[in-house]
Amino acid sequence: MGINPGYFVGEAFQSFRRNWVMSLVAVTIIYISLLVMGAFFLTGTLLNKVVSSFEQKVSISVFLKDGAAPADVQALQQDLAGDKRVKSIDYVSKAQALEKFKERTKNVPQLVEQLRGNPLPASLEVSLVDPRQVREVVKSIEADTNLAKVIKNPANPEADDIKYAQEVVDRLFQATNVIRLFVAVFMVLLFIVSLVLIGNTIRLAIYSRRREIGIMRLVGASNWFISTPFLMEGVIQSTLGALLAILTLVLAQSFIVPWLQSTLRFLPVTITAAALGQLSALLLLSGIVIGLLGSGAATRRYLKV
Amino acid sequence: MISMRNVSKKYAADKPALIDIDVEIGSGEFVFLVGHSGSGKSTFIKLLLREILPSTGEITVAGQDVVKMKNWKVPFLRRNIGCVFQDFKLLPNKTTYENVAFALEVIGRSKHVIRTQVPEVLRLVGLEEKIDSYPDELSGGEQQRVSIARAFVNRPPMLLADEPTGNLDPATSLGIMSLLNRINKTGTTILVATHDREMVDSMRKRVIALENGRIIRDQSRGVYGYGD
Repeated sequence: MGINPGYFVGEAFQSFRRNWVMSLVAVTIIYISLLVMGAFFLTGTLLNKVVSSFEQKVSISVFLKDGAAPADVQALQQDLAGDKRVKSIDYVSKAQALEKFKERTKNVPQLVEQLRGNPLPASLEVSLVDPRQVREVVKSIEADTNLAKVIKNPANPEADDIKYAQEVVDRLFQATNVIRLFVAVFMVLLFIVSLVLIGNTIRLAIYSRRREIGIMRLVGASNWFISTPFLMEGVIQSTLGALLAILTLVLAQSFIVPWLQSTLRFLPVTITAAALGQLSALLLLSGIVIGLLGSGAATRRYLKV
Repeated sequence: MISMRNVSKKYAADKPALIDIDVEIGSGEFVFLVGHSGSGKSTFIKLLLREILPSTGEITVAGQDVVKMKNWKVPFLRRNIGCVFQDFKLLPNKTTYENVAFALEVIGRSKHVIRTQVPEVLRLVGLEEKIDSYPDELSGGEQQRVSIARAFVNRPPMLLADEPTGNLDPATSLGIMSLLNRINKTGTTILVATHDREMVDSMRKRVIALENGRIIRDQSRGVYGYGD
């Protein structure tokens, strides 16, 4: 059989031209749905990076009192090094602490200028194999008999002398979970609306071609031959929406990410090429699935094939 | 070519449209199917095209069991049956040539086949002059010729015509009938459903008469009959 595949594409585009208002509405809605989906996907990858960088930073800082005996500090360090949950221990001297502080506040040099002497304490930075064990490790540090000799307030170490960022991480996780749930509900709604709109444009396309379809049936055109242009039309519409959404997001992130990087210097905001690739694949695939489902349902219902 | 055995069709439980139809139509025959409106002519034709299924009975068309046929095979059945209707069913935005070519395009015939067969069949129906005219530039008779050309361009073994002259004046109707007769001479089976008395009486072909869903008469070289 000499069926030219161009026939179907041609038919689909012709129908697109005929019902361009409705088609435009469908493309726009798919564009918006996929744009929202993609935007959340990108925000999600950014947030994940931030959260995991926080997790990496869930080290325990043990602030040492000025004039703590080096032997006592070393004894504590050795105790900690014996703990399997501890990955590494770094000793940060007062001078190094000041350097770090300067580095962090280099945008506001007045802060350092106003310091008299060096008020910053030396500290032990304990990083963990698994950041989720932070509370237990803190407990065992508090129980260490060598601790009391090197900190200012042995009665209540967690008040001043032992700091860790667990709560920040917990809150971030809670927030991202809420956002994810919200996005999921929103996405489902947008998907349904997209399906209905695609189905409706296909219904109109079928209606405007009912004479041709009647004759096609009469002369024995096969069902797939009759329905393929309509499936194609749905897929073309949704792919168009997906491509527009991808284009918009890639352009938008190329402006927004550098801006975020300059405003939030202390956070690792980057989007890798791999993430953009995933984004494109995700949106294109969702688009094609929406298009096939919407037009498939419409042809099934209105062509009775 | 067509065989019906004990075929009945009921749309509603108490009002049968066709009752106990037994009929054989051989290859190459020319048959008139006559009867008033509501006698069951349309149901008869729809059954042959498998637009509907019979309530009981067996139907064979062009060697295929229509009742047991899978849905996806129906298009291939219809490629064996050319159809002509009272209202022509032409596409208004296509020329004569395009209307006929469309029937070949949608069953996947190659461009080469289309380019040779379409002009040939248009010559057969006498429309080679009107090849680029649109349907609204043609007379009723000419439009019906286009529709016959479209039904016959794929050279089906049988042609089904449902009131083909219903919208035409007697002189034009005669032309259409002689065209169908000429197609019949090529070996094509022709079944014409009609209530055009003059036509049937002048052609002297086999006549199957339906009344209230039953075959009341089946005679070769028959006339329209009915007293009214």
